[in-house]
Amino acid sequence: MFLNSVILIFQETLEAAILMSVLLVFARINGIRPTWIIFAIAAGLVGALIFAFNMADISDWFDYVGQEVMNALIQLIIILCLTVFIALQSLRSRVTVSRHQNLIYITCMVAVVSLAMTREGSEIFIYIGMVLQQPEYIRPTLTGTGIGAGIGISCGTLLYYGLLGLPPRWAPVCGATLLALVSGNFASQAILNLTQADWLPYTKILWDSSVWLPEGSLQGHLLFAFFGYEATPSILQGIAYIAGMLFIGLSAYVGYRAAVHGKKLQPRGELVK
Amino acid sequence: MKFEIIMINKFTRMLALSLIAVMTLYCPHVVAKTPVLEIEIKDHLFFPATIEIPANTKVKLLIINRDSTSEEFESYDLNREKVIAGNRKAVIFVGPLSVGEYEFFGEFYPKTAQGKIVVIANE
Repeated sequence: MFLNSVILIFQETLEAAILMSVLLVFARINGIRPTWIIFAIAAGLVGALIFAFNMADISDWFDYVGQEVMNALIQLIIILCLTVFIALQSLRSRVTVSRHQNLIYITCMVAVVSLAMTREGSEIFIYIGMVLQQPEYIRPTLTGTGIGAGIGISCGTLLYYGLLGLPPRWAPVCGATLLALVSGNFASQAILNLTQADWLPYTKILWDSSVWLPEGSLQGHLLFAFFGYEATPSILQGIAYIAGMLFIGLSAYVGYRAAVHGKKLQPRGELVK
Repeated sequence: MKFEIIMINKFTRMLALSLIAVMTLYCPHVVAKTPVLEIEIKDHLFFPATIEIPANTKVKLLIINRDSTSEEFESYDLNREKVIAGNRKAVIFVGPLSVGEYEFFGEFYPKTAQGKIVVIANE
């Protein structure tokens, strides 16, 4: 139970930790005080608790596929928030943004972190809730949970300082690339959830690398968290992955164009060059 | 003007026909009924632990959790993952699959909750 807890909590924590680290780096580069992360974590914890407590009923929705539909919805909202965030980041790296645009930028960060935590955290709460019903497992599970979360958070911290240690020009580029990968990963996962729910048709497997790099291995988990690695992705997932990444690239371009031709995103002349 | 109206009508008709065609192809209720297979979770074990399904056929797994605790159905081979609350049931669609063995397990009790889907060739 101890080792199982370590692995389970580590993989649930890692994805959210990566997102948090990258967004914290962007916030620091832009001189935004880190108070937003407290709101994001608090909202994420509340969301995860609500989601966990209602998971059984949510699962019954849409003829017992409500869980997949909700997960896909959360993933698609995260992609949307990341798209807006990157457009604004691209804009603010070239011009000074208005207070209104800054507020949208911070709201997007809060939404991304809290929604990612809601999805991943709910599973942790369900797991801990399950263990609390069996007193003999409480101690090893809670120890494993602490260690698993610790490793996940450490990975996030390493990434945070690693990105900050890069030359100032490269940190935002690397951060945006990581967010594009996360967006591709979420798009692919949303497609997988909707296929599992039979809301989308089955498409053939793109490749099978399960023999030489199994998803269940440590490398598989790490690659999943960073790049959305899957040993047997479907063609539709592959298309969604590329589309998710292109969305981020396109929104960065839109932000760049808006900065170049300031008036496009400057309805009230608030953009200061 | 008349030509434009004719073109718009033609376009609307084609769009409607395409939509009907797509819905007919993909709507699960219109296509041949998907076979349902029941799996039970009891004392952190899957019953039956081995299920046989025909190749190239989509199946609907109806998983009934008889335990009071939650379990997470997980399979790297099938690319499936779903939390099933205690004393509740869940539906997971799998396939169409090619011939072979596809393992699954309960992520909360991976040592005991183990099973596999054996896909056999169609006669």
